[in-house]
Amino acid sequence: MQLFLEYLFNGISNGAIYAAIALALVMVFRGTGTINFAQGEMALFTTYIAWGLTTKNVPVILCLLIATAAGFVLGAVTERVLIRPIERKSLLATLIVLLGLFLVLNSLDGILWGNQNYTMPSLFPNAVSSFITLGGARLYWANLGLWIVLAVLVGAMFQLFNHTRLGLHMRATASNRESASLSGIPVGRILMLGWGFSAAIGAVAGVLLTPLAPDSLGVGEMFPILIQASAAALFGGLDSPGGAVIAGLLMGVAEALLSGYVSVIGGQLQEAIAFVAIVVVLLVRPQGLFGSKEVERV
Amino acid sequence: MTAPDTRSRTSLPLQVDQGSPAHRTLQVLGLAALAGLAILGSRTNSFQVGLLTQALIYATAIAGLNLVTGYTGMLSIGHSAFFGIGAYTTGILVSERNWNPLTTFAVSLVICFVFGLIVGLPALRIRGINLALVTLALAVAFPELVDRFPGLTGGSLGLNVNLFQLLPPHWTGIGIQNRFEYYYWIAAVVLALVLVLCANLTRGRTGLAMRATRDRETAATAVGVNLAWIKVFTFGISAAVTGVAGSVFAMYLGSLSADSSFTLTLSITLITGLVIGGVATVVGPIIGGLAVIYIPHWTESLRQGQTEGLFFGSILIILMFVMPDGLMGLLKRLARRVVQIKPRAPEKPSTAGAFLVDLGATADAELEGKGDTTLALS
Repeated sequence: MQLFLEYLFNGISNGAIYAAIALALVMVFRGTGTINFAQGEMALFTTYIAWGLTTKNVPVILCLLIATAAGFVLGAVTERVLIRPIERKSLLATLIVLLGLFLVLNSLDGILWGNQNYTMPSLFPNAVSSFITLGGARLYWANLGLWIVLAVLVGAMFQLFNHTRLGLHMRATASNRESASLSGIPVGRILMLGWGFSAAIGAVAGVLLTPLAPDSLGVGEMFPILIQASAAALFGGLDSPGGAVIAGLLMGVAEALLSGYVSVIGGQLQEAIAFVAIVVVLLVRPQGLFGSKEVERV
Repeated sequence: MTAPDTRSRTSLPLQVDQGSPAHRTLQVLGLAALAGLAILGSRTNSFQVGLLTQALIYATAIAGLNLVTGYTGMLSIGHSAFFGIGAYTTGILVSERNWNPLTTFAVSLVICFVFGLIVGLPALRIRGINLALVTLALAVAFPELVDRFPGLTGGSLGLNVNLFQLLPPHWTGIGIQNRFEYYYWIAAVVLALVLVLCANLTRGRTGLAMRATRDRETAATAVGVNLAWIKVFTFGISAAVTGVAGSVFAMYLGSLSADSSFTLTLSITLITGLVIGGVATVVGPIIGGLAVIYIPHWTESLRQGQTEGLFFGSILIILMFVMPDGLMGLLKRLARRVVQIKPRAPEKPSTAGAFLVDLGATADAELEGKGDTTLALS
């Protein structure tokens, strides 16, 4: 029971991160119809910014806010400068540009901050002894804090989607850009905001995730998370924010339990499993669990 | 997407009819020039020959990727895996089974074709984005799988082939110290065969169907293109070509390590080469292969580390904006100022056929005629 709970806690933490990044991917997909390959690298870049500030003795909470703002700007500028001019050409061109951005951001991380790994200070008490005991299992404050912050963030996003004027505009833009534009919605600005929000979510996820383990801030940190999050987004349905969050959590928990209990899977086969999951989902139910079917007018 | 403008230039462009003796002469001259360059390349010092061999191998792999991504419009980020499967097929057959390296190429071809079909299957139900995701995950999963089966692949320690099994045969007259020249010629011949295959495949009916699929799926179906067949078949052929490139790579290198050679980075390198050379062109992959080998070689002398990634990433972005048809597109436009090939009028096309021709020609600017020009002049 104690072991199970510890696996579960770990799984929920990973799952919350997958869910956050998957939500970010879905927001971009709904607006622009593309997967943002650079989503993970954007999150990593802003996490590096936060880490750089913590080394200058800036309080962690302030670093988090600055990183989030930087993420927002990075996302919005990417949409305006790189994506909007190219997406008219073709999906292929957009994907290649995003791949280029992935490469640029990742290399910049290495050039600006070096190739070694760093330990990031946590927003929450993060000592060896700062945990509460639940059913015999240790639940660290850093994990609990991550759950709460991401839950609040995701909740706020859903409030935004469903109960505000801006959210209405975003949904209208997602469902039909031309009609939205005709009814007076500033589609361009909405798309920019969508990319900004999604990169900001990534920044929060990165800053909260990195302190959970020592030496985990490195140039390769976010890529595996991007793979898992894409699998989650696909599993939940690429156009369904709720689906992304549920699938992200499920994947995190399933992964932790599987690698905990089934020895064959342990450690380094996780991406291969994500691959199999992606292929199976696409073959059996291409629209995912909660996504809507793609209908094309001829 | 540049609107090709065939008439309104200066008086310079010479008009040459397609299939006329003048056109044929140009083609022969072009091929002779390519062959001359190949011979010139083999005469350089052994270090240069090594680099050129790698460039030829990458060009072959890029030519494979071009079929799927360039002509059919399906972005594959997983070609590093096919390259790796080809390389390991050759590596394992030579080192464990004592096969002649050249005969393993055929096995690679078949195995990679089958893998390509399997990976192409999801493309039937899904499009663009999702296929990109599947191939991305494949690229990431491949090195893990290799590490997972150390008995077969040598795992993370790598697979080493005994040098004596890779030596040139006696009749070539090439000694052990010049063996890289042998690999160079093998890479050159494989590339030449692959380019002929690609040229024939993409100029015929299949090529038109591929481009129609890329440009407008629904319309392509309407004129009778079998989407499922075209997509899966292209994926298979493309994987097979890239797999053979991997086989040559295994022969050239003699030792394989999935963690360093066949990762996502390789896939991105191939895509970069394709974009630099020019998507959906026959000769573009050669330029792309040279670029992705020589550019890092030069940037490394400027500054160590991630400069290469920064450079390639920026190149990918900038080229998509200012030169989406790559260097080959640029060369074609320049060549068109000097010589223009007038395509022959098609003989009595059926209505559906004519429509398909239009469809294929929309974005590709009559590759049928112009492809020959550039082949002849480059």
